[in-house]
Amino acid sequence: MKAKETLIPRREEPVNHAVPPPAAASVVGISKRFGKTSVLENISFDVAEGEVLVLLGASGSGKTTILRIIAGLEMPYTGKVILHGKDVTELPARERGVGVIFQSYALFPKMTVEKNIGYGLRIRKRKRKEIKQTVDELLSLVQLDEHRKKYPSQLSGGQQQRVAIARTLAYKPEVLLFDEPFGALDTQTRVHLRREIRALLKKVNVPAIFITHDQEEALELGDRVAVLNVGHIEQIGTPFQIYNQPATEYVATFLGAANVLDAVVRQDFIEVGAAQIPKTFDKDEFKPGDCVKIVFRPEDVSLSRNDFLRPGYARLSTAIIDEVTFIGAYERLRLRLERAGGEECKTVESPYYLTTETPDREPTKWIIATRPKPEASSTRLHVGERVVVALTSFTVLRQQVTRGTN
Amino acid sequence: MRHVRGFDIARPLSIGMLVFMMMPLVFLPLASIFIFGTRTGLEKFWGALMAPEAVFALKLSMATSFWATVFNVIFGLFAAYVLSRYNFWGRNALIVTISLPTAIPTAVAGFALLLLWGPYGTLGRLLTPHGFQIMFTAGAIILANIFVTFPLAFGVIKPVFDTMSRSLEEASATIGATRWQTFWHVTLPSLRGAIVSGALLTFARAVGEFGSTILVSGNLAGRTQTAPLYIFAKFNEGQIEAANAIAIVLALFSFLIFSVLFFARDWLDVD
Repeated sequence: MKAKETLIPRREEPVNHAVPPPAAASVVGISKRFGKTSVLENISFDVAEGEVLVLLGASGSGKTTILRIIAGLEMPYTGKVILHGKDVTELPARERGVGVIFQSYALFPKMTVEKNIGYGLRIRKRKRKEIKQTVDELLSLVQLDEHRKKYPSQLSGGQQQRVAIARTLAYKPEVLLFDEPFGALDTQTRVHLRREIRALLKKVNVPAIFITHDQEEALELGDRVAVLNVGHIEQIGTPFQIYNQPATEYVATFLGAANVLDAVVRQDFIEVGAAQIPKTFDKDEFKPGDCVKIVFRPEDVSLSRNDFLRPGYARLSTAIIDEVTFIGAYERLRLRLERAGGEECKTVESPYYLTTETPDREPTKWIIATRPKPEASSTRLHVGERVVVALTSFTVLRQQVTRGTN
Repeated sequence: MRHVRGFDIARPLSIGMLVFMMMPLVFLPLASIFIFGTRTGLEKFWGALMAPEAVFALKLSMATSFWATVFNVIFGLFAAYVLSRYNFWGRNALIVTISLPTAIPTAVAGFALLLLWGPYGTLGRLLTPHGFQIMFTAGAIILANIFVTFPLAFGVIKPVFDTMSRSLEEASATIGATRWQTFWHVTLPSLRGAIVSGALLTFARAVGEFGSTILVSGNLAGRTQTAPLYIFAKFNEGQIEAANAIAIVLALFSFLIFSVLFFARDWLDVD
């Protein structure tokens, strides 16, 4: 499906487990239909002990349904849910021992904070002393000691969420499931809370599955991220992998801005319009004549006024600057590629066209480039100027063929 | 001339008009009960109230209304649960049927019960030979009360069920609670206000029931005569003081119940 070109050495991905740890929770071949509509197709993934997996997808991608199936609130059409080696597919929600943090937190409004947290133990008929001790521990873990007698309606959104987490931790769940946990919060609280929760999860070492549509949240929270698209997993990998080595055009465009250009594989190079860029991927993956797509991020674009390129940079084309926008931390440029036409491949129009920042492809080739502040201020570029476009890094994807069922 | 800021002449006028209109319609009839009832002195009033038949009528009213309320609250809770949780063919028809009894004239309701349970009724005909006769007993009064107050508790409880977030019950289930535990610990506490107000409404309506009761009870003094029937009977006999004493009690009682309903709203819905 993909090959990664690393023309200049990039900061390598942090340590990877040599032997994957045993799965704490697995979903095997799950599919789901509502009536005749198929909402999930053959979903499989594992979550290791203490790992955080993020299911990232647009609304309607089926991510909430996956969560509800793991929790036992929904039955899959086919497939299995396995928690710590035990097949729980047929078990009702209450016998699975999963902890769900609902989007609305679902705290019991008529119970105080401590009653909410102790609920799981009370219905398990634990001793009063044991309940009190656990509740005390959890209250200090989530730093809500002084709010123990309050009702949920008297707490802030962030505090309610911490109560919801403590309430599930009380009965030592097999896995924690977070349903868009930051959806109802403002941006500042959200950023603050996800760091807090990430730290908390590492402390309690319970595997967790988050669902979100926010790519930044996914990259920051997840040890691994699964990108979902209309009911199937497009790619599952570390945040580094899915951002830098997207397996599909959908993943590339869903996670931030991406430039996509049609190209053809030749004997010794890849032909992008009139440009030839070096090909260093494994020989077997693509044959000469294959139609491919070149995907690169705006920050992978290097712009210069002359043809003097640093070693390792792949010269793409020249381009005319069409627009320069200042966006806080960096500068964004829209460029029109010159002599990039001459398609040999008849492109199947991709059904995914989500990112507004993906430039138009027909008939002119537009690309987006970003430059960090120091570079932007040392070499000022202006609208109408001609520059040389080179790539520091890019990914080669096979042309998207119409997708059949998995 | 200085203008008083925000003064609006329509305000005192409309309030005054409202009170004025309510005078002959509500205030004066209520006041006359009290005026007549105490006209002959408190001692006479007390005597009329403590007459054995009067005491019996009040007690019977309270007891029959109580059991009708217990039944209708439990039924209303159950019906509300089923009808707001499950979607099925005929659901709307059931909702309409449950709500129907309030729209039927109470005399018709009593008559319908007689036609079913009476000695010559559809069911009664089969049961009477076996010594089972529910009409003209306290049981008949309870049946009549249940019928006419049927949708009251349901009507108060169902909207609360409808707006209750499913995620509370789902959360409880994932935490490990059985359906019953969830209902008891999570659902029921959220319904507390609706249950109390539903019960008070049902009870108040049942205590005052007349039309259906007079048909099914037989109106036997000291046996099946409820308080409203007692008022009617004494009035017919020309014993205005006796009728009046009970009328005062019933009026005060209703006043009390609706005050509770009105002023305790905040307490009932407290989170």
